[in-house]
Amino acid sequence: MKTDDLIALMAADATPARPVAPVLVVSFLAVLGVAGFVFLSVIGMRDDLPGAYAQPLIAAKSVLPVGLALLGLGFAIALARPDGQVRLWPLSVIGVAALGLFALGMLATPTERWASGIVGQTILPCLLSIPALAVVPLGVALVALRRGASTAPRLSGALAGLGAGAAATAVYALHCTEDSPLFYVTWYGLAILLVTALGAALGQRLLRW
Amino acid sequence: MSDQETEWASMLRAAIGGDGRAYARFLRAVTPVLRGIVRARAGRMQADAVEDIVQEVLLAIHQKRHTWRDDGPLRPWLFAITRYKVVDAFRARGSMVHLPLEDFVDVLVAQTGTDPTAHRDMMAVIRHLDPRSAAIVTAVGIDGANIAETGRQMDMTAGAVRVALHRAMKRLAELRERHVE
Repeated sequence: MKTDDLIALMAADATPARPVAPVLVVSFLAVLGVAGFVFLSVIGMRDDLPGAYAQPLIAAKSVLPVGLALLGLGFAIALARPDGQVRLWPLSVIGVAALGLFALGMLATPTERWASGIVGQTILPCLLSIPALAVVPLGVALVALRRGASTAPRLSGALAGLGAGAAATAVYALHCTEDSPLFYVTWYGLAILLVTALGAALGQRLLRW
Repeated sequence: MSDQETEWASMLRAAIGGDGRAYARFLRAVTPVLRGIVRARAGRMQADAVEDIVQEVLLAIHQKRHTWRDDGPLRPWLFAITRYKVVDAFRARGSMVHLPLEDFVDVLVAQTGTDPTAHRDMMAVIRHLDPRSAAIVTAVGIDGANIAETGRQMDMTAGAVRVALHRAMKRLAELRERHVE
């Protein structure tokens, strides 16, 4: 095909595309809202939610994930431009805060109960519910990111996974009554990492262009 | 921004606003530069293989043009797309390339030349499209008809022609990805 003919075709094809950010934000919040509503309707929020969330160490179960979700999705949107650049260090601030909470948990718990504190009662519900809540929001985020043009598809996918996993965790925490940082830093963290890894694997395939 | 960049940016801004003529001018202005970049990387690759890669880059610019922030600089955006597609194209053809952005600066002033595929006809790609898309692509791409004329010829509304052309462009980009010609 002649390049000049191709240019004539492209000039005639004036169909505009919707930008990435509004599509991603609206579709992500919509499906997260529906998934969260269904989930909490079925298994319920914790009974003592207002009182518990008045305590910073418990509120952190949702506050830190919300921070991670905003950063992850914000970075993924920035990277959807081919010339987009992100500095990832703010993520480590949240990581350090989580480790700080874990250390506080160790200080507040007698040494011989550290192991039982980490294990808790609900590892399996936690590790199943968070990815289950995250998977559809991750899907719509990736679909929205496909309109973009990330030059680092795997990183973009990982950031979308981080955003979806963290947002799902913030919802799950409204149900979960395991309030020791020894438990929630460990297992929420692992659940978020699982979804991040899934996002990276999917991003590498779906976000190439 | 250089004068050239300002000029390109205003053309692309008009293009995204719906000005097809400005868009064609923009694409014609950047094509020789893209050709120079690809050729500088191509070693002893055949000229028409080089032009295939140029066309892949052009199609990528077309499909991702909404990712340009129209108050931002144009060249980093343009060259990020170019680098990504050129690396991708060479990788698909079995040779790895390292393409640092700084290298582009020299190529920009290098002189460029004409389209070596000018002799090839479009039919090779078009025959992979369905008949109606092929007719629209032929009318617009080869005969130089506009959307309204094409619609009258084919007894379609202008909107339907636009949608069909848009789909055909996506299909063309997919075919190029798979190196069908």
